[in-house]
Amino acid sequence: MNQTLTKRRKLKLESDSGWGYAFIAVALIAFSLFTAYPVINAFMISLQEYRPLGSTYVGLENFVNTFSDELFWKALKNTLVYTLLTVPFNIFLSFLIAILIIPFKKRTQTIFKAVYYLPAVASGVALAVVWLWIFDPLKSGIANQVVGFFGIDNQNWLGSSATAMFSLVLMSWLSSHGTAIIIYLAALLGIDNSYYEAAEIDGATFLQKLWFIVVPFLKPTTLFLLVTGVIGSFQVFQNAYLMTGGGPDHATTMVGLLIFNNAFTYFEFGEAAAQSLLLAAIIAFIAYLQFKFLGKEIEY
Amino acid sequence: MKKRSSVLTLFLSVIMMLSLLSACGGNGNNAPDSTNSGNQGSSNSGSELQKDTITALLPPVSANYQARFADMEKEFNELYPHLTLKIEPASWEDMTQKLDTQVNAGSPPDIAWVGSTAISKYVALDVLLDLNAVLSDEVKADYDEVAMKYFQLGDSQYGLPAYLAIHSIGGNKQFLEDAGIDWKNVQQNGWTYEQFRDAISKGVVKNDKGEITQYGFVFATSGVTSKDYLSIMAKSAGLPDYFDESLKYSYTSKNFLGLLEGIRQMIDDGSMPKELSSIDAGKRWNMFLTGQTMITGKGLASFENSARLNNEKIKANDGSAVADSIEAEYIALPVPTFNGAGYIPTAVVDGYIALRGKKEPSEEHVRNIGLAINFLSSGSIAANYSNELFLTPITESARNAAVLEEYPRNEDNVKADQVMMSKAVPARTDIPTDLAAEAIKIETEVIVPKLQALLANEITPQEMYDAVKAAAIKSFGEDGIVVD
Repeated sequence: MNQTLTKRRKLKLESDSGWGYAFIAVALIAFSLFTAYPVINAFMISLQEYRPLGSTYVGLENFVNTFSDELFWKALKNTLVYTLLTVPFNIFLSFLIAILIIPFKKRTQTIFKAVYYLPAVASGVALAVVWLWIFDPLKSGIANQVVGFFGIDNQNWLGSSATAMFSLVLMSWLSSHGTAIIIYLAALLGIDNSYYEAAEIDGATFLQKLWFIVVPFLKPTTLFLLVTGVIGSFQVFQNAYLMTGGGPDHATTMVGLLIFNNAFTYFEFGEAAAQSLLLAAIIAFIAYLQFKFLGKEIEY
Repeated sequence: MKKRSSVLTLFLSVIMMLSLLSACGGNGNNAPDSTNSGNQGSSNSGSELQKDTITALLPPVSANYQARFADMEKEFNELYPHLTLKIEPASWEDMTQKLDTQVNAGSPPDIAWVGSTAISKYVALDVLLDLNAVLSDEVKADYDEVAMKYFQLGDSQYGLPAYLAIHSIGGNKQFLEDAGIDWKNVQQNGWTYEQFRDAISKGVVKNDKGEITQYGFVFATSGVTSKDYLSIMAKSAGLPDYFDESLKYSYTSKNFLGLLEGIRQMIDDGSMPKELSSIDAGKRWNMFLTGQTMITGKGLASFENSARLNNEKIKANDGSAVADSIEAEYIALPVPTFNGAGYIPTAVVDGYIALRGKKEPSEEHVRNIGLAINFLSSGSIAANYSNELFLTPITESARNAAVLEEYPRNEDNVKADQVMMSKAVPARTDIPTDLAAEAIKIETEVIVPKLQALLANEITPQEMYDAVKAAAIKSFGEDGIVVD
């Protein structure tokens, strides 16, 4: 009798495990097909001179060509500059806006969250068209009217090397902080009130509470936003493609755009795949450094 | 109950997976119908013609071109009852990306619309079909020789041309006359760079504050359009192609430096805006219609109609007229000649190419593609899109075909177009694909970026010339470039 019961339990357990594996399989197959397989395939293509009707194996030639290509290093430098100028400022701005929103009542908070999240819902192409209009090079352009108010001559925002990168950075500064703000707001709501109460009893000022309570408690959130921000920024493509096309004189050519051009303008899929893998390795290395140096003190 | 729920969840998950997989499957709408495609069959051995489906990917070539697709498919099927023509419409924005994705996946349509300059790119991928063997002499004779050559490379005929358009410039009739320019004479006899420079400086108008309210000349040069600006001007600057007759790279000659100096000079004179490098195609047309420029580029024959339609809207107080626009009569003009060179117009020939996928197509299928391409590029179909684009058809059959609607035309512009078209030169068919590919790489990686910098006044003409020369030497060697 006892043995029969154990057998049934075992069967039930195995049966439950079976269902579990079946459910995992769905995600696993999707991951294998749409993530693992493309990565493996990209690696294989990076060793070939890809042609639709038959590719040829070229070993590490595509990697060697990439390393000796001045444009790749220029694009990498541009991407790094763009990342350094956008990611920290965007995180700081999102943090600041979240701090300004948090004292409001829930309903008002929701209104602000919706307003700040709205650009994320809009199509990137539509946003680019609006920004192209803002950066109209003639005197009638909005940005030129703003600088004209301060007595500055009208600028060729996207057409000059001096201002093209800044224009893309400005575009990033002023758009799409919605996700980061919502994440920061959720993290801020997770800080127990007792910490603020204890600080107030000790006579802490607003800035002291911010520095000694909020900033340390939000460190894991900041690390998360930093890592995802750097990954996103290194893969930036759309803004440069739509706004400047990488110009003038490659002043805004990012690695993502270079990969796109190699793949879809020159049909050099092998070189594009090699550059994609190198970009992935660079991103992984930076993420590792971020976790190593910034991920240490996140336990309280 | 719990078990039922699990089964249902798993069932839905499986459906989700199958949906994902089917979306990635190769049997999309773009693939030829495998049940009756000529790709499957061998040559026709019986007396009865084998059924076949021809697929085509086509953009909105003219205003009503895509609207006529159903009629075109029907008409083709009536002509060849054993054949089915299946046309997939694509927008101009999607066309190249859609085609390139299908080509690289090894399953392109049988026919696609491309500009003739893209042919070498597809030849290098080995995906084009030579139609020489399947096009009869009678069919070939229907096409004008100049246009026909644009779809040849070596001895192969990779498709058929649909139209030949001249990329020129165009002026506002009133402004040209105010500046004292004898535009009728220019239309017939052309002008040199010096004459042009003088004319556009007379076209500049300033307000009381000394601010320019009207430029003499504005050309779209933002991003890749700068390539058009340079190549259109280069044709009449003694640089008709990237390679000279002995296949030496020609943009290293002093003619190129002279052209670059002219390009910079027109901005420094104040005849062109200093922000030229950011002016795109839409902006410069807007500047033309709003009276902010006397001459604009690039110009197409159909711009006459666009300006006329806007004029009618202004007269009728129609709110859909371009904001702040004025009545402007478009006058077609040739580009100036530089360095004492002769006038060579930029002839843009677009048309249809024949493609193959991973499977070797049967002879019969290739023949059927030839029939379909000829059908699409001649007769009443070509007559109608040429008419809508204000172009003279390039096939005898189209010239003799009736059109659905007649559009009013400026007789002087018609004559000017005829003069420009008569000077169009056939495409070079002797340039090897590897040389052409290398030239395109220099164009994209050096010429276009440096030209943008030159227009933005960040480098001098000499610096740009040196950069292009250095890139050319790297690609073709000291012996592979023109030195003068």
